Amino acid sequence: MLNPPEASPAGRAAVAAVVIVVTLILQVSVANRLPLPGGVQPDLVLLAVVALALVAGSMTGMVAGFLAGLAADIVPPADHTIGRYALVYCLIGYLCGVATAEMDRQSVVPFFAVAAGALAGTVLYAVTGMILGDPRAEWASVSRMVPPQVLYDVIASPFVVWAVLRATRRYERGERTRGDGLAVPAARYRAMSGRGGTL
Amino acid sequence: MKDTRRTRVVLGALLVVALAMITIDYRGGDDSPLRGLRDVGATVFGPVERVSAAVVRPVGDTFDSITDAPGERRRADRLERQNQRLREQLRALSLDKDRSAQLQRMLGTAGTGGYKVLAAQVISAGQGFEDTVTIDVGSRGGVTRDMTVMSADGLVGRVTRVGPATATVLLATDQTSSIGSRLEASKEIGIVQGRGRRGFGGGGGTPLRFQLLDATAPIAVGQRIVTLGSQGQRPYVPGVPIGVVERIDRSAGGLTRTAYVRPFVRFTSLDVVAVVVAPPKQDPRDALLPPKPPPPAPSTSPSAHPSATPTRGKRPEARPSGTKSPFTRPSRGD
Repeated sequence: MLNPPEASPAGRAAVAAVVIVVTLILQVSVANRLPLPGGVQPDLVLLAVVALALVAGSMTGMVAGFLAGLAADIVPPADHTIGRYALVYCLIGYLCGVATAEMDRQSVVPFFAVAAGALAGTVLYAVTGMILGDPRAEWASVSRMVPPQVLYDVIASPFVVWAVLRATRRYERGERTRGDGLAVPAARYRAMSGRGGTL
Repeated sequence: MKDTRRTRVVLGALLVVALAMITIDYRGGDDSPLRGLRDVGATVFGPVERVSAAVVRPVGDTFDSITDAPGERRRADRLERQNQRLREQLRALSLDKDRSAQLQRMLGTAGTGGYKVLAAQVISAGQGFEDTVTIDVGSRGGVTRDMTVMSADGLVGRVTRVGPATATVLLATDQTSSIGSRLEASKEIGIVQGRGRRGFGGGGGTPLRFQLLDATAPIAVGQRIVTLGSQGQRPYVPGVPIGVVERIDRSAGGLTRTAYVRPFVRFTSLDVVAVVVAPPKQDPRDALLPPKPPPPAPSTSPSAHPSATPTRGKRPEARPSGTKSPFTRPSRGD
């Protein structure tokens, strides 16, 4: 929220949209097919939404979350009630965006934020399933599948966050001269991703 | 901050929209007005997934070759592809007489004439708790809802949603899947239910649960289970192997007896599957199919079964002319 969203909304939206679509396709065609122990896979889309929210604030986070969730609801193999991911990702995007504004002083925070977002998102999605009486989201399955999923999310989060930062940085570099002083979180992430890129 | 205020208004609006969609879709069930959205999703994302599946296949192969021994994997893959068509032929034509007679009597249908199959490739898999995959054939290939999907080893699932170029398959291991089935030896019928995502959700090695409707009927570990066949052969055609009874629940007092089943199909590594296109159509998929000769598999692979060529020569009618053979796919192993 501290960064100037008016600089080039169209460019930011385009980058966010590309990030979401690419992540979603990678999710369904690569991540979901990995035969990982536990039968669950990291939720890359959720991680991308969290990363976008951390970079660009709660407004972008929740709109991106809503649209990403809607896309995840209708992308072909999906077979759950439409709107569940939209609801969950929208809330997570908002919360992570709000959280960024308040804790931009420590450099470990973002990774905790991503982990917390992953945990909250996974649990929230399971809860919506339980509320709707989805037979797949019975307590027996949920209790067995949520812990490994959160673990995988946390393991995958640095990579997704790094990739999202790289993608958004390309766009944000153009406005650095204008917005750098205000964009504390974004600047921090840019710095982090810069380090990551040189490794 | 006025920005926060605006943000909250937008948040509220988005949440209301999401809740409204959930409500509408949930109340609507199968004829939900939001089905159109899914069709849009299939139309938009289907082709993208096809392309991406082609691009990322090497990634999956790499992963597989890390987890499995590379040479074994390649060899198994080649043999699997060779076996696939032979097994389809075998299964189509040499249903044992006993079963054939049973099915004739029981169903009185033309199901024993052989499955007419359409080979397809799994291109993506579902997220969250659902156990679904997308395959790369759709309504343009003649696939419709409620068709049986099988692989060379046995039952995979059924088609639940069809897009122009893709179709969604509900796997047998999904918790909402239940399949009328039959013990191979005793002809006792029961229901096979999934136990969760890829079988790992609740199952470990036995991701399927078989409920024998007659609690007094004999059942033994090692017995095999096949599909019973649904009315009108939809969604499940009869006679597709499902799995082997691995463990029998001895808990007393139930009206039914429960056994846990290890499926023939490895649901974690689905690749080439076949959609059973029943009933046979006049001109199935002819327009889409490049008329390819059978590949010279026996000559290229040293481990090919010597009887492959004569069998293929003798039984050209086993494979319907319009049906895409799994062998039209390039074999990565070679």
